Amino acid sequence: MKKGFPGKQGSIKRTVKPNRGMTAKPVKAKGGSASTGIIHPVIIYPFRQPGEYGDLKALYSLVEHLDADRERYARPITVMDRKTYYSQKKAASFLAFRDRTVARSGDILDAWCVDTCQMWYAGLGAAFERGNAGDVYWLIPGDFNYGAAAGREVLGRLHDLPEIVLELDQDLCIGEIATDHNNSKQLIDTYGTFALLYNWFPAEAQEIRQYTERPRSEFFAVRHDFLGELLTQRWYPYEQTVVMLLQAIFKQKRISRFFVGNISDLPEGRESLSSAWQQVERTERVLKAVWCERHQSRPGWIQRYRELELHSEQIRRTALTILQNLLPGQ
Amino acid sequence: MTSFGYQKTLRAVNFICHAPEAKSVRLVGDFNGWNPAANPMKQMPDRCWLLTVELKHGHHRYAFLVDGVLTLDPRAQGITRNDKGERVSLVPVS
Repeated sequence: MKKGFPGKQGSIKRTVKPNRGMTAKPVKAKGGSASTGIIHPVIIYPFRQPGEYGDLKALYSLVEHLDADRERYARPITVMDRKTYYSQKKAASFLAFRDRTVARSGDILDAWCVDTCQMWYAGLGAAFERGNAGDVYWLIPGDFNYGAAAGREVLGRLHDLPEIVLELDQDLCIGEIATDHNNSKQLIDTYGTFALLYNWFPAEAQEIRQYTERPRSEFFAVRHDFLGELLTQRWYPYEQTVVMLLQAIFKQKRISRFFVGNISDLPEGRESLSSAWQQVERTERVLKAVWCERHQSRPGWIQRYRELELHSEQIRRTALTILQNLLPGQ
Repeated sequence: MTSFGYQKTLRAVNFICHAPEAKSVRLVGDFNGWNPAANPMKQMPDRCWLLTVELKHGHHRYAFLVDGVLTLDPRAQGITRNDKGERVSLVPVS
């Protein structure tokens, strides 16, 4: 490993040709209907490096397992933000883990990203360029407590997400984690995400809620054709799962939801009040943008937009009041 | 950790439906061609309905027909739609 800059921006270490060609074979049909295509794991490396590596070691033992199964899986891609690298470039433990564990069990995509959703975009885009029709792309967030007993159980279930897409011919499978009612993610979704969705897209919001209580889930698997549609449309730098679900409803795609278990994100990435606040505001912003895209060609849209915006502001203010009352960091 | 390998073995899966007032409950799914006659469930002393079915490795769609009404399993691990577009439950078998 060279010291300093480990690769060009957006480059993949040990790069494989974009179209995977002969690197993998189709998945064998199991259980029910026939399935073709392979699974592309895309791992999002934590933006803030955890102090100890137990959770990441557990995650990368899974990734190593996937990398060894070329019948079913394409070579995994780990997306690492360049800012993460630069903040840790003098940390021997980080460099060793990157070299000896991450790079050995897949390709590293070094990218400058404004947000986690841009890391998704970079990783899913790179995997998509290697893929073919029928393939499935499996997003695995890195900043969860996979080293804990419950986390290991979740690691054993995550593979269900892409397998459901393959076996049951789905376009999108959302993984749902269990949280208590006072968990910050739950509070954000209950009082922010769904409340705002009901304002801007009431019919679609009801349909989304029939599938999941986690419309911002970071666990999902998506089929090649649908991912292609998403990648070539406008990619928002935040709350991408909400946008994916809306697009899936708009286009009448086949959606599944699967419970992956009890797991929580690492303290380094956990929501403070200010973070929760930002997430509600970003959700509102992205919903406004999607609504405008869908309605701005219709007569009278601006008047309707102003009405919805007025309600939206009230919803956002209420959500922020509730979050302020319940979350630490005031 | 769960094995990711392909398994040919059948696994017994218990399906339980809490419908104490129902007159009949049937299990329908991909595994029986959604045939209501294929898998009638049996009411237990606690009035829950039970059926054990052997299923192949993989993911299976299913639902309960409670007095003829297609009903989701509230304890299912997943939700999807069947070929008719109806919401149904999902069970993984590993």
